[in-house]
Amino acid sequence: MGDGMSSHYQGHSAFGRFVNEIEETAIAVILGLMTLITFVNVVLRYGFNTGLIWGLEAVTILFAWLVLFGISYAVKVTAHLGVDAVINLVSPAARRVLAMIAAVICIVYAALLLKGAWDYWANFANLPQTTGRFFPTGFEEMKRTSYRSWYEVVDIPMPDWLRFIEPWINEGEAYEKLPRFIPYAILPFGAALLLFRFIQAGARIWRGDQQSLIVSHEAEDAVDDVAHMNRED
Amino acid sequence: MDVLLLFVSVIGLMLIGVPIAVSLGLSSIVFLLVLSDTSLGSVAQSFFQAMAGHYTLLAIPFFILASSFMSTGGVARRIIRFSIALVGHMHGGLAIAGVFACMLFAALSGSSPATVVAIGSIVIAGMRQVGYTKDFAAGVIANAGTLGILIPPSIVMVVYASATDVSVGRMFLAGVIPGLMAGTMLMITIYAIARVRNLPKGEWLGWGEVLSSGRDALWGLFLIVIILGGIYGGIFTPTEAAAVAAVYAFFIANFVYRDMGPLASKDGERNLTLLRKPIALVTAFFHRDTRDTLFDAGKLTITLMFIIANALILKHVLTDEQIPQQIAAAMLDAGLGPVMFLVIVNVILLIGGQFMEPSGLLVIVAPLVFPIAIELGIDPIHLGIIMVVNMEIGMITPPVGLNLFVTSGVAGMPMMSVVRAALPFLAVLFVFLIMVTYIPILSTWLPTTFMGPEIITR
Repeated sequence: MGDGMSSHYQGHSAFGRFVNEIEETAIAVILGLMTLITFVNVVLRYGFNTGLIWGLEAVTILFAWLVLFGISYAVKVTAHLGVDAVINLVSPAARRVLAMIAAVICIVYAALLLKGAWDYWANFANLPQTTGRFFPTGFEEMKRTSYRSWYEVVDIPMPDWLRFIEPWINEGEAYEKLPRFIPYAILPFGAALLLFRFIQAGARIWRGDQQSLIVSHEAEDAVDDVAHMNRED
Repeated sequence: MDVLLLFVSVIGLMLIGVPIAVSLGLSSIVFLLVLSDTSLGSVAQSFFQAMAGHYTLLAIPFFILASSFMSTGGVARRIIRFSIALVGHMHGGLAIAGVFACMLFAALSGSSPATVVAIGSIVIAGMRQVGYTKDFAAGVIANAGTLGILIPPSIVMVVYASATDVSVGRMFLAGVIPGLMAGTMLMITIYAIARVRNLPKGEWLGWGEVLSSGRDALWGLFLIVIILGGIYGGIFTPTEAAAVAAVYAFFIANFVYRDMGPLASKDGERNLTLLRKPIALVTAFFHRDTRDTLFDAGKLTITLMFIIANALILKHVLTDEQIPQQIAAAMLDAGLGPVMFLVIVNVILLIGGQFMEPSGLLVIVAPLVFPIAIELGIDPIHLGIIMVVNMEIGMITPPVGLNLFVTSGVAGMPMMSVVRAALPFLAVLFVFLIMVTYIPILSTWLPTTFMGPEIITR
């Protein structure tokens, strides 16, 4: 069976469905990996008195990946939680105005997050941070301390198949552990996707295809699925 | 006064329909950029660290996943059958069984709306068939469903523990007695109403049915043993217990109940056994149902964690500005004692709980009231349970409690009728709230007995 729990989102085009499939599968795979690694580590500890030393760090990084990658998807399918008590009281016209304002606010938020994400990640990848406090006004002059690609994570070893990047970014020196710019790359990537999805959602509200950016509780889909069981005959 | 502006901005943004996470995040970011020398880069860093640096919060996705496998895998149906076999023959039996089933399901899942959906959709239909009014059925389920966040494991408790650095294990233990008490109080009320109104009672199906339904439900209920036994036996951390529970739930759903995955069959037919299709041991991991369940749990994790990560930025602002300490000082100067303080906490949470998803609300309010409570000598575990019970009640308090919405959707009836139907039981839960608030030993006895006295670090 397994019915009723799956998503209601349908892409409009073949490409849309393809992207949707990738997003949903990525979310499922990341969570699956987190669970398996944690579980295997418990088994190893009790069954074999050993463990994957990189397990915990890998799981926490995957956790960050799950959320940072997933927030843009949740914008696309309107799954973010919000308060709909007030917007349900006002007229449809007023609701549309409020939703537009909300969309602009979300776009500003995502833009700030994207700038912050880039600034944090850039030096780890030997790239310049942006200047400016709120808005990027240009790129910094790279100083000696701006080249930080040699920073590594604590426990996760550098996989051999990734060694081809060493001549490019680490002057040919071998990494012992995974360089930090790899796990942190999800920050600018996720924030850029978030900005893109908020702009799309804003456009849908502008066109009148969508009423709001939020749902009021996490079980809204599930309620729709079971509502038929008790509807008046 | 800047801080007042901060809170007005958070609440104002929420009310016009900005997602909770963005309301929290944007207000805090602007506040930080204008009034301190924090850079956007460090905001992004703390966002990343919200997940990568909080080992406790890592329990949330795993608990959600375990509960997803359990709900998809048909455990709700089996729990209800067991509950009916056990108490269905009493006056108002089906309603009492509904409460009992909600309590059991709450012990598998950490969320109230999920409990209402899983148990309510089946039980409300069943109650109507045997002659209960729809209103009564909806009222019972709306209230009993709130137990989802009080009976451990509870996502809300994990969030509280993480926001205030108390132990998750203690919080879970502290929820046991209040959870059982609230459930029992609801069942007694139903029984009394049933005697007065002469509500239908079911037939006693015999010990055979109790045993066979119990054995069937046992696979699901064993999850409770894994989680609680694992944590208190010192075998796992709560996070590991949650991950083990998720893997266990996956195996039960796919290979024992077989209502999902490669061994499930179309409606009506018996599900295949593993012997008939041993390859399922491999294919279950890649089956569409597994992928969908993982995805659903992932999606819920993402929306909750987005709120929590942004609330942690707000918490950062509050700590930087020493806000809680200032409020605490002001309250102490005004001669406010613990009793009045708890009343104020009650009121704030009852109002907030109406509008907002509980974990989001908690992660905002907890850092604010926690230092004050410690200052006033209130036990942190006790405070946590008070907050959880408050949010339970907020969810079913008219006009806009979240559980009321969920129930009205599940029962297919207008909001106002659900409100009226839930009122008598709401009164019971209010009495319960007062008891929990002013009798700390209800929450603190079990954790202190099993884990020793709480050590408060400031």
